[in-house]
Amino acid sequence: MFVLIAGGGRTGARLASLLLNEKYKVRLIENRRNLLSLLHQELPTEVIYEGNPIDPSVLEAVGIREAHAMASVTSDDSMNLAISFLAKRMFDVPRTIARVNNPNNAWLFDEKFHVDVSLNQADVLAHLIQEEMSLGDMMTLFKIRRGRYSVVEEKVPAGAKAIGVQLKEMDLAEHCVIAAIIRDGVMTLPRGDSTLQENDEIIAVASPEGAHKLSELLAHPVYPERHGGRKIS
Amino acid sequence: MNLIVVGCGRVGAELSHRLFKGGHQVTVVDSNRESFNRLHPDFRGRTLEGEGLAENVLDRAGIKEAHGLAAVTNSDTLNAVVAHTARTYYHVPVVVARNYDPALRVVIEAFGLQTVSSTFWGAQRVEELLINPSQRVVFSAGNGEVEVYETSVPESWGGRTLAELMEPLKQCYAVAVTRAGRSSLPDVGMVLQAGDMINISSTYDGISALTSRLAGKAEA
Repeated sequence: MFVLIAGGGRTGARLASLLLNEKYKVRLIENRRNLLSLLHQELPTEVIYEGNPIDPSVLEAVGIREAHAMASVTSDDSMNLAISFLAKRMFDVPRTIARVNNPNNAWLFDEKFHVDVSLNQADVLAHLIQEEMSLGDMMTLFKIRRGRYSVVEEKVPAGAKAIGVQLKEMDLAEHCVIAAIIRDGVMTLPRGDSTLQENDEIIAVASPEGAHKLSELLAHPVYPERHGGRKIS
Repeated sequence: MNLIVVGCGRVGAELSHRLFKGGHQVTVVDSNRESFNRLHPDFRGRTLEGEGLAENVLDRAGIKEAHGLAAVTNSDTLNAVVAHTARTYYHVPVVVARNYDPALRVVIEAFGLQTVSSTFWGAQRVEELLINPSQRVVFSAGNGEVEVYETSVPESWGGRTLAELMEPLKQCYAVAVTRAGRSSLPDVGMVLQAGDMINISSTYDGISALTSRLAGKAEA
C-alpha cells in the first residue's frame, strides 16, 4: 500500500514512522524549512518530498496517481480540505483522511470536500480524557472504530456488585462482552456461567454505554468523599 | 444586494467600502479584529469577527440570504474552501475567490470557481507600463490573459495596409481603427495613416511583437 502524507509536523512525522514500520510505501510532503531539517533526522531521505502539498504539480511529482490513500495532517484546516478535494477530484485517490485542527471547522470534513475519514484531534482527546475521569479504575487498552468502541481492562474491587454473579446474568449483552478473566496471573476465556472474584482482572470490548454499565457493576460500593489538601493561607 | 466579504486585508477593505458606497448591504468577516481598522472611516456596513470556515460565523454573516460572496483573504486554500462552501452548500448565487499566489491559481480553478488573480494581474500591468509605455490598455478580459490595447500608427507605417502590419503576427487582432474621431471596423485592405488609433485585442506576447514591429524601421 502506498500512502501520501501532507504535512510534516509531529502528527505527520509520527504517522510516517508508524507506516514505515508496517512496511508501507510512504511519501511525506512538506515545504517549511525549519520542519524539513527535523524530518531529515527522523525519517529516511527518500520518504521526504520538499514542496507545497497543495500544489497539484507537486502531488503529481510525488506519485499521487499511484497512491492508495492521502492523509492530510497539516495544521491548516483549509489546506487539509483543499488537498482532500484535489486528491479525489483530480487524481481519484481511493481514500482520503484529513485532520481537523479547529473543532468549529469539523462540519466541513465530509463529502463536501471529498473527505472519507476525518479525525478531530481536540474532540478525540477530550472524549478520551472524559472517559478516563468517569470510569475510575478502568483502563482503556485501545480504541477501535475511530474511538466508538474500546478494549478496556479493570480490576474487580472488594464489595463490587458483580462479585459472585454469573456473567450471563449481568445484563451487558448488547454493549459489552467480557473477553477474558485473569485470576492469579492465569488468563481464562469466560463462559456464561463464569463468575468474578475480588482481585480478578477482566478485559472487555465495550461501547461507551457498555463501558459505563460495566464500571457501575465493578465500582466501589461508595465513592468516598474527599477532604484533601491544606488550605493555603 | 446582501453581500459578504471574507477577509479584511487591503483588498477586502477596499472592496467592502466600494460595495457599501454602491448602496449594498455589506458584511465583512475577519478573524482578526484589528483588520477592521483598514476600513474606510465612512464605511457603515457590518463587521464580524470570526473564522470564515465556522458554520456559526457564516450563519451570523447572513450567508443563507446572501446574493453574493467574495473570499479575498491572502490564503488561496481558505478562499477556495470558503467559496466552494458558499456555492455548493449554501447555493449563494454569485461567488468570487481571490487568487493570491499565482502558483496556486490551478487550485482555485480545480474547484471551478470564478477567480481574480490580483497579484498576477498587478504584476502584468506594471510590466506593460514599464516595457510598452506607448500601449494603453482599454479593456482587460478574464485575468488579463487577453486585453484590448490602443496604439497609434507612427509615420513609418503611414501609407501601408493594415494587412501588411498585422499578417505576420499571431495572438493579435485589430478590432477598431479611429481616424479623426470616427471609428470603424477595419478591413484588412485599409490603408493606414500616421496618427490613426488602432484597437488591438491581444495577448501579452502578441502586443509585445506588435510594439517592436511598429517601432522597427519600415521594412522595404
